Amino acid sequence: MASLALKDVHKSYGDTLVLDRVSLEVAARELIAFLGPSGSGKSTLLRIIAGLETADGGEVWLEGRRIDALPPGDRGVAMVFQHYALYPHMTVRENMAFGLRNAGVPKPEIDARIAQAAHVLEIEAQLEKKPGQMSGGQRQRVAIGRAIVKQPKLFLLDEPLSNLDAALRTRTRVELAQLRQRVDAALIMVTHDQAEAMTLADRMVVLNERRIQQVGTPMDIYARPANAFVARFVGSPAMTLAPATVMPGNDRFARVRLAGGAEVMTRVPRNGLVDGAPVSLGLRPEHVSLAPAEAATLQAEVILVERLGDRTFVYACLADGLEMIAQDIGSSAVRVGDRVGLRIDGDAAHLFEADGTGRHADAAT
Amino acid sequence: MKSGGAPRRLEGLAFVAPFLLLYGVVLIWPLLMGIGISFHRADLFGAREWIGLGNYATALADPVVHQAIGNTLLLALLIVPPLTALALLLALALNRATRGAAVFRGIFFSSSVLSVTIVTLIWRFILTPDAGLLAVAADALGREPLPFLSDQALVIPAIAITTIWWSLGFPIMLFLAGLQQVPADVYEAAALDRAGRWTTFRHITLPAIRRTLLLVVMLQTVGQLQLFGQAQLLTGGGPGGGSRTIVLAIFEVAFGRWELGYATALAEILFAMILVVTLLQYWLVTRREDAG
Amino acid sequence: MSATSPRAGLSGPVLALLLVGAAVMLTPMVWTLLLSVKSNAALLGDSGAALSPPYTLDNYRAILADRLTSRWLLNSLIVSLGTTAGVLVLSSLAGFAFARLEFPFRRSLFLFVLLGLAIPEQAVILPRHQLFATLGLHNSYPGLILPGLTGSFGVFFMTQYFRAIPRDLDEAALLDGASRLRLFWSVLLPLTIPAQATLGVFTFLASWNDYWWPLISATTSDYYTLTVGLASAQMNYAQTSGLGFLMAQAVFASVPILIVYIVFQKQIVRAMAGTAVR
Repeated sequence: MASLALKDVHKSYGDTLVLDRVSLEVAARELIAFLGPSGSGKSTLLRIIAGLETADGGEVWLEGRRIDALPPGDRGVAMVFQHYALYPHMTVRENMAFGLRNAGVPKPEIDARIAQAAHVLEIEAQLEKKPGQMSGGQRQRVAIGRAIVKQPKLFLLDEPLSNLDAALRTRTRVELAQLRQRVDAALIMVTHDQAEAMTLADRMVVLNERRIQQVGTPMDIYARPANAFVARFVGSPAMTLAPATVMPGNDRFARVRLAGGAEVMTRVPRNGLVDGAPVSLGLRPEHVSLAPAEAATLQAEVILVERLGDRTFVYACLADGLEMIAQDIGSSAVRVGDRVGLRIDGDAAHLFEADGTGRHADAAT
Repeated sequence: MKSGGAPRRLEGLAFVAPFLLLYGVVLIWPLLMGIGISFHRADLFGAREWIGLGNYATALADPVVHQAIGNTLLLALLIVPPLTALALLLALALNRATRGAAVFRGIFFSSSVLSVTIVTLIWRFILTPDAGLLAVAADALGREPLPFLSDQALVIPAIAITTIWWSLGFPIMLFLAGLQQVPADVYEAAALDRAGRWTTFRHITLPAIRRTLLLVVMLQTVGQLQLFGQAQLLTGGGPGGGSRTIVLAIFEVAFGRWELGYATALAEILFAMILVVTLLQYWLVTRREDAG
Repeated sequence: MSATSPRAGLSGPVLALLLVGAAVMLTPMVWTLLLSVKSNAALLGDSGAALSPPYTLDNYRAILADRLTSRWLLNSLIVSLGTTAGVLVLSSLAGFAFARLEFPFRRSLFLFVLLGLAIPEQAVILPRHQLFATLGLHNSYPGLILPGLTGSFGVFFMTQYFRAIPRDLDEAALLDGASRLRLFWSVLLPLTIPAQATLGVFTFLASWNDYWWPLISATTSDYYTLTVGLASAQMNYAQTSGLGFLMAQAVFASVPILIVYIVFQKQIVRAMAGTAVR
């Protein structure tokens, strides 16, 4: 049975539509990431689930109970806010107890739950401190603790890692992964950081322009983006989308010609693609490599070299002005201004139709 | 958050109701009542007779009122500019984070917490020729003490000095707060541009605190137009009405002559004057901001 | 004019200017203090005697024994504390609602309250005197306190302060199942304590020093506040107990306010800064 179900949820602010008929099912104990740029509606959706905003229409169900008309405190959800929203004048213990006291949980039970959460989160020593006396990482744990003690059916996390510095981010990511092993609830986190979503989530929900663009496992979304938006939003550096046209032919797979004249044989089934139709050829950096002139598909000039140590991203400009990103070995000797040959791995290329719909090489082949 | 229906929406009204009730009954209602009373010949004990603009006509022709308005404007002129300049000067000197500056700030503000009664008590026994400190000083120098509180030419300056002494703290604090808003790097940039002290003040500090400057001038003007206690307590408005201010005139008409209607009309005239000053200064600042 | 480095010490000419200024500020107060510790007889005819001993605390003893002065002190305390408490309660409730709750006419009502900032006391005081006479409120504590509760500034100030508190605290409290009242009382109100202190000190000072209204509302000496009482003593000091006693009264009346000032200096300065930034 689905833990959380959204049915046709929509919302507008005045004339501005912010969510357009969103439906989604979340399985028990699943960790879902809402990923999207700002303004995509991901935060609004989270807040509608929490009850901090009211949808104009649609239904929200949690564990078989319809909750969209209930006040936030009665929904069985807990939220970890982006800026933690800890009550500054209360100690950590009081912060965690506040919601339980409002819910009428007996005192011994409150103490027991706090003790357990504090133990799990290793904040026992901080229980009598106030949030102002704690570091950012500790505050985040308290915020998580405040959610845990409520024993909710659903955890909502709003940009949980965005306030932390790089080192703490990695550690907290690990902790969040552990957290979900310990709680018997589904988790939804909102993020604009695709790396965060990819590493943590069981499934990702990519939102843009008020709609769900794609729902799937991180690898599924990375390997088979449903449309051009998802293709460019997920993956870093972003996928290159090169304008191309479908070449006529009877092959099983589509062959396309780039604007500059070069041809690429893909493994995307050609059925349904019209000859001469304009498409975009989608290429991840790892599927474009540097090659000697004779083995190269394209010639280009290097405009930027990004050295990551283990590999190097080479940003190259084709004759027609198109920019393409290639991946090279870590010790690459290439320099800005070099003329290089690019070899395209057509087997791994994606095609996107004029309306953005993605087509991919068959998984089976 | 937008949900909740009628009871929740009315909850907010319950929170503001206590204040609004008092505000309406004790401030807005008397305000409207006053406008009504000013069109009546009315005494303090309830007699009312509609005379339209009669009170206002009387006021326009009343030499006592003319004198009071003149005195009030003169006082405002003698108080506001020097007070503003002094306060700005002191604020500039005290705009630093040293212990000494903090002590001086405390000293310059200390007089502001005293009530008008105490201020006038203190200054009466500085100014009076028979027992005042200045008289004692004049005595020591072998001079005749000046009759500050009984000479037509001296009462207004005497009240002005008392008022400046009393009111200095607030504008200093306002200026200090304004000066803290000026980012330090602007001064560093100016120093690198070899700007002198005057140039820095004229072209950096002054434009940056223009809003504060206007606020000080506005608050002080509005405040001094309502000058009352100093005149009433130091000189009783004398000699010969030479220091009677508008509010003192209102007080005398209402509680000396019991002519409530007339006093209220005078109060409305003062209200109008205050509104004009406020609006004028507001207009001045917005206009200059549009131009700049 | 040195606006260069805020950390630098005070330079020679600036220091000289400040010292002269400080002397002008302090001399009158010191003079008052000196007069207050001289016997009335010694000051008769020659107040210059205050500059040299003998000094005495007789005037202060006389004040403590004087029923009226103690009564006035008590009145001032009741009125000022009552006004302060009232302003804090009313402004906090209204400020919270204006900043956080949705209700009909919220914006219009807020503008209506802001209007009060532009209404000078002069435009209200005489008809209010009439109104209070009708209601029989003169010579009573409510009569002295109520007008002080109508100031718009407190509501405006508290509204601004509530607005500055991050909204996600409200949302966290909602998710924690708190009612509006609980949100106000347990979550937001404790966070406004600095603002309460500032507004409270400000209100206390203004109320303690108020002169015009208590002068016309309290007409029997039993309901005089210290400010009005001292004024009456000042007006006919020739007939009363003499210069030293009068000045001792002045010092005595200033002590509570100076204590408040010294203890709450930070809040006072912050309040001023707040006004200026707006």
